[in-house]
Amino acid sequence: MKQKIKSIIDKLTAPDISFADVRITSTDYESIFFMNANLRSYGNSKGSPAIGIRVLIDGCFGFAGSKDLSAASIERLIAKARSNAIHGALFQKEKLTFPALPASTGEYVHQPEIDPFAMPKAEKLEYLQRLATSIKPAGKIVHSYVATEFERQEKYYANSEGSYNHMIVTNTLPMMMVVASDGKQTQSRTWPGHMSAGRAGFELFYQQKFEENTETIIKEATDLLVADVITEEKADIIIGAGHLALQLHESVGHATEADRIFGQEISYAGKTFVKPAMLGNFRYGSDILNIYSDSTDPKGLGYSPMDDEGVPARRVDIIKNGILVDQQSSRHIAHKLGLAPSSNMKASFADDYPLVRMTNFCIAPGKGSLEELIASTERGYFLDYTKTWSIDDNRNNFQFTTEIGYKIRDGKIVGIVKEPTYFGITPEFWNACDAICGEEEWAYHSTFHCGKGEPGQVMRLSHGVAPARFKNINVSVKM
Amino acid sequence: MNEQLKHLNSALQQHPELKYVLTFREWQTDFLRFYQSQTNYNISKDSSSLAATLYKGKKSCSFTVDHPDNPKIEAALKTALDMIDAMPEDPDFVDIEDDLTLARPRQIVNNIEALGLNEKTRILRELAGRAAKYGFELYGTFICNYQSWQMLNSNGLDKTSTLSPIYLEVKAVHKDSQVTVLETFGGDDFSYFKEASFSDNLLTKIALAQNPVVDVAPGEYEVILAPRCVAEFAQYLSSGMRAASVDSHNSFFEGKLNQQLFPTFFSITDDPTDPQMIRRDYGDQGHIYRALKLIEDGQFRAFMCGQYYHLKLGLPKNGNTGACLKIKAGNAKLSDMITSVKKGLYISSLHYMNFINARETSLTGLTRDGTFLIEDGKITKVVNNLRFTERICRIFENLIELEDTAHTIPFSDNYGEFSVSSARAPHARVQGFNISSSTRTI
Repeated sequence: MKQKIKSIIDKLTAPDISFADVRITSTDYESIFFMNANLRSYGNSKGSPAIGIRVLIDGCFGFAGSKDLSAASIERLIAKARSNAIHGALFQKEKLTFPALPASTGEYVHQPEIDPFAMPKAEKLEYLQRLATSIKPAGKIVHSYVATEFERQEKYYANSEGSYNHMIVTNTLPMMMVVASDGKQTQSRTWPGHMSAGRAGFELFYQQKFEENTETIIKEATDLLVADVITEEKADIIIGAGHLALQLHESVGHATEADRIFGQEISYAGKTFVKPAMLGNFRYGSDILNIYSDSTDPKGLGYSPMDDEGVPARRVDIIKNGILVDQQSSRHIAHKLGLAPSSNMKASFADDYPLVRMTNFCIAPGKGSLEELIASTERGYFLDYTKTWSIDDNRNNFQFTTEIGYKIRDGKIVGIVKEPTYFGITPEFWNACDAICGEEEWAYHSTFHCGKGEPGQVMRLSHGVAPARFKNINVSVKM
Repeated sequence: MNEQLKHLNSALQQHPELKYVLTFREWQTDFLRFYQSQTNYNISKDSSSLAATLYKGKKSCSFTVDHPDNPKIEAALKTALDMIDAMPEDPDFVDIEDDLTLARPRQIVNNIEALGLNEKTRILRELAGRAAKYGFELYGTFICNYQSWQMLNSNGLDKTSTLSPIYLEVKAVHKDSQVTVLETFGGDDFSYFKEASFSDNLLTKIALAQNPVVDVAPGEYEVILAPRCVAEFAQYLSSGMRAASVDSHNSFFEGKLNQQLFPTFFSITDDPTDPQMIRRDYGDQGHIYRALKLIEDGQFRAFMCGQYYHLKLGLPKNGNTGACLKIKAGNAKLSDMITSVKKGLYISSLHYMNFINARETSLTGLTRDGTFLIEDGKITKVVNNLRFTERICRIFENLIELEDTAHTIPFSDNYGEFSVSSARAPHARVQGFNISSSTRTI
């Protein structure tokens, strides 16, 4: 395949093509879904191929992608990509350009501890059946599921500057949920929450202690049926790492994607309140807040030796001591902003167009354990396990509901509340952060399902976070 | 019949112990995305896949082969046959689709070929030129898809379907204020696209967008919801009309069949036959797709139900999926609707909605692409985007009146395989719409 992709690049060395790149992926995928302890669906695909060819002609990118890697198809795709660039340039005011980069090479093969595609199928199904049976409907529990997705992707990248990258990774997304009902209302609990994926194989089920938490989610879902709601207008809240990952994702991660500054996502995902003039001076959060994008760490789903535009992996500070200092960018947008490209251009599959995407987008750890943070909180709530999320077009106004809130009084958890909902304005919220737990609580929380772009792509990415506390947050939503 | 589909079907006929469903799909898109009144990128994509689900008693196993050839299909089939005995049973499974009714054949134009890039960029250049005179730039997408599938199953079902939807979304954004307005076209027949009126509608909205920008306080407002908002709220509401949501105890409509839930002038039909929409021949499992009354004169009439839940829950089977929702027009003129509002809001479009509790239809979301203040019956100002937290059932309970004309609203589905669908809806006047906070931005 290395020879094949390089031979395609050789076909793209025409005088009118100022830059070209080619991606090829082969993806194995398996999904298993147990509903109410019964296997509702099992599906797989093996070696799903994809190719994407992108050319820059006359300052406009043209792209063509397919699942057909035959020689005839490649010729057709080259012609189509060229035609798309030439036609696109007919509706263009500003020629797209960026500085050349030196050629570089990347190679990475990830080996999971328990390869989900190689392990005995019976062993895998027996474990999942046992897990599903342990949360099957009984008592107040009226619905449950256990779901998992396994994905292995081999990817080749080459560009006209001589850069080449090859990688193989395995990712796993495990999840379970119970729904409780008293006949009038329903309440749900998931484990381990919505950011449950990881760069791992089947071992992720053991690492995330699924079997150890079945009784907890059954009890909590049932208890939520009779729990109170938050009655205060404002409260101090501690956000658990799983949900904080989503808060970070929505209100900082997407807001600092530089393509949004120029409106390239207005038609779907939206804009950002961030403006170029804010770089280096805008106080995004409190002094203790340090946020970075890091595609160099192989433990996260966002690791890649090189992005899908040939930029070598980088760790880039985005917010330093609360101040916005950089952006996640493409080569073109970085050039417009006077920045170095951040190695954030990614395409989900080879036949997708590369976009500015989060990789491993993280909050640097602070100090202390979650237990110590709760103990130091006089009055507030510990919120975790995302239920609802929503943020506006500019990534400025957000509102989240979690499945459960744990009431804190005098440093101790004294009860639970249902559907705790908080809302805020992004910079005000991050400036209200007064404590971040330390490395002992810091971990990656990952997803398969970050949607962006048109045609839509769902990206696999990670957030490294530890629980954090926010002071005096709006927790009263009138309805 | 596609060669690979034929090959797999022949192979499976050697296994009388199995039931099976096979679907061969081909999909293409030509996708122009633009920003700042210029091309962002121009994409062509195509794919083909063969999907199979095999059933042995109550055990099942599915596989998909992308860009299939016979060796890949044989390998995937062998793996599935080796696996299926080891699969746990689904005791609820009884049978696969048995509706063999064929839809009336339709002539489908391949809009990728009919509407080339030269014509797309010409239309966009014209629109951009008119918008530029008022300091607005264009952002959006101009898409043509061409997709077809053939489905076979061991009950004798053999059906084909082709779609070629067109989706044009144009957002005009003011260079300085960032105030945004939206105009769209969607359908499978481009003769319904009237370039002059599309352009005039966009310019009318641009004129409104030049009013001063203000903020409003949280609280309950009388609102005029644009057809896009009405359609989107109806789509979210319809998730509770799916049999699957009854099975998961998540349906607002469970136990409410034939109850009067909404005003008598409110009706929703799932209608795949309207030529001004993106038409459908069959539901997901190959059941013929016919018009189905979901809400009739305010009463809930039917769950959308396929074979599996029909057999599991005993609900009537119809094969509808909610992909073609039509909200019946009322009898009010839009101008009169606006005139009748003393102080309220005109809401053009919604953004990032998510259920808080689906069974209660409670959700939160935001306004987008043009929110306006109405004072003494006139649109007077632009309003920052707003957050609402509401129950959809309450929004439709609080309907005052509906416009006398329904409009086609296209939607693009950006999760999973890219697809385009449409709905038809009129403007709606609603009282007591709950604005829970302001975004303080446009």
